[in-house]
Amino acid sequence: MIQAKNVSLTYADGTVALRDVSLNIRPGEFVYIVGPSGSGKTSLLKLLMGIEFPSAGSLYVMDQPIVKREAGRIRKLRRSIGPVFQEFRLIQGRTALENVLMGMRFLNIPNRQMVNSAKEALTKVGLGHKASVMVEKLSFGEAQRVAIARAVARKPALILADEPTGNLDYDNAINIMDLLYTLKDKNTTVLVTTHATHLIGNYHDTSLIHVEQGKISVEHRGEQK
Amino acid sequence: MRNTFYFIKESIRIFRNNKLSNIFSFLGTALILFLLALVIAVWSISSRLTVMLREEAEISAYFDRDAGNTEELLNLIGQIDGVREVRLVDKEEARSRMEKILGEESGILDLFDENPFEAYFEVKIHLDRMDSVFTQISALKGINYVRENREALEQIEGISKALEVLGYLVIAAVSITTLVIISHMIRQGIYQNHEQIRTLMLLGAPDGFINFPYILLGFMLTFGGGVAATILINTLIHQGYGMLGSTIPFIPLPPKSQLMYGLSIFLLSVSAALGILGSLFGVSTSKKRN
Repeated sequence: MIQAKNVSLTYADGTVALRDVSLNIRPGEFVYIVGPSGSGKTSLLKLLMGIEFPSAGSLYVMDQPIVKREAGRIRKLRRSIGPVFQEFRLIQGRTALENVLMGMRFLNIPNRQMVNSAKEALTKVGLGHKASVMVEKLSFGEAQRVAIARAVARKPALILADEPTGNLDYDNAINIMDLLYTLKDKNTTVLVTTHATHLIGNYHDTSLIHVEQGKISVEHRGEQK
Repeated sequence: MRNTFYFIKESIRIFRNNKLSNIFSFLGTALILFLLALVIAVWSISSRLTVMLREEAEISAYFDRDAGNTEELLNLIGQIDGVREVRLVDKEEARSRMEKILGEESGILDLFDENPFEAYFEVKIHLDRMDSVFTQISALKGINYVRENREALEQIEGISKALEVLGYLVIAAVSITTLVIISHMIRQGIYQNHEQIRTLMLLGAPDGFINFPYILLGFMLTFGGGVAATILINTLIHQGYGMLGSTIPFIPLPPKSQLMYGLSIFLLSVSAALGILGSLFGVSTSKKRN
């Protein structure tokens, strides 16, 4: 699913975000990415989404090279990814349901199926009753759950979730992690960056990547499928 | 199309986000398309006038009464290349024509003891052969002098050509102005929604999906302007024909329905094409980060 070999990322201002990172993540793997703030977790997800490009090394996501000149192909690749952004990136002036639908309208899903999937995803994150509420009227935690529903409803092959429980209380955080964990059974690869290390122990057969100062320092792998 | 309703809703939302500017764009587009239609209508009328006058192009050949056989002269003129028709207008017909022209003032002709008019040959010609026909008729034995109405024809033709050039200039000006207005509105819409566009890009939406509501809005603004201009010009033609018909009846106006239909088709086609082009131009010149 993801192959990174000696990948480094240096931003235009000279900041080195990632150094010599090598990874091999299998389809259906559930991976936690942990580490202190500024360690490079979000930068790693940005690379995987083709928002940033490796300064050195090679990176493949679903067999597609992440290189700048392939921008058009990367856009297509993103249709197979369910992203949960740290800043949510919900579209203002729309309801929760419309936001979830917005991530699916261009995926060649029949209308009825699309609406059903969106409603189902909202229900799963506990927001079925707020489907028709404008997103700007939702709390931070609710907005975050809409962002998660948008990612999940697309039924992607890969979910890249940046701090998906960052604004949630314990119960909702567990609920969201349960939801993401169940996707593993559908062979969806899930990468979750998190500070909530207390939740990690709740799930078996997961992998853990520890990022510190742009380097992968610890890597525990779950069982091979 | 699966997303038709979504695209229409998005376009309306983009319109509402910048309502005042979009309304002014619509009005501006309607006004310049109306001006275009006005020039085209005048051009069309003047062209028709020229064509009709060309068809009526004639010269008058006066002959020596003692020259002998007028029938022979009539035949000779009729054989000249460029002559469409020739007939003899005798003195009585010449006088009666003048009486018609003078109307109520025709009594002045009664002051003459004798009919002051001369018989002549009325020669209808192809306008482009006027020089050669004129020379050949003048050279015929028995022809005293030849009179032509070239000057008046050339003046009308000149006006028609000037209107044609003006028409092209106005078409160019209208096209450029509309393209600039619409593409600017589209760029403004894209700029105002850049966060949404960025999110859609990050979700993998193709450019066609992202851009379509903006293209649709540009099309609706311009085509709407075209529809408004069509209604305005048709109302004006309807009123104008009534007024012109009663005040200056000798102007050979084209059939009203033909002019209205032609202008409507032209305005709607031009506005649709400019709407799509302007929107595409606006979309393609907007800076978007992948």
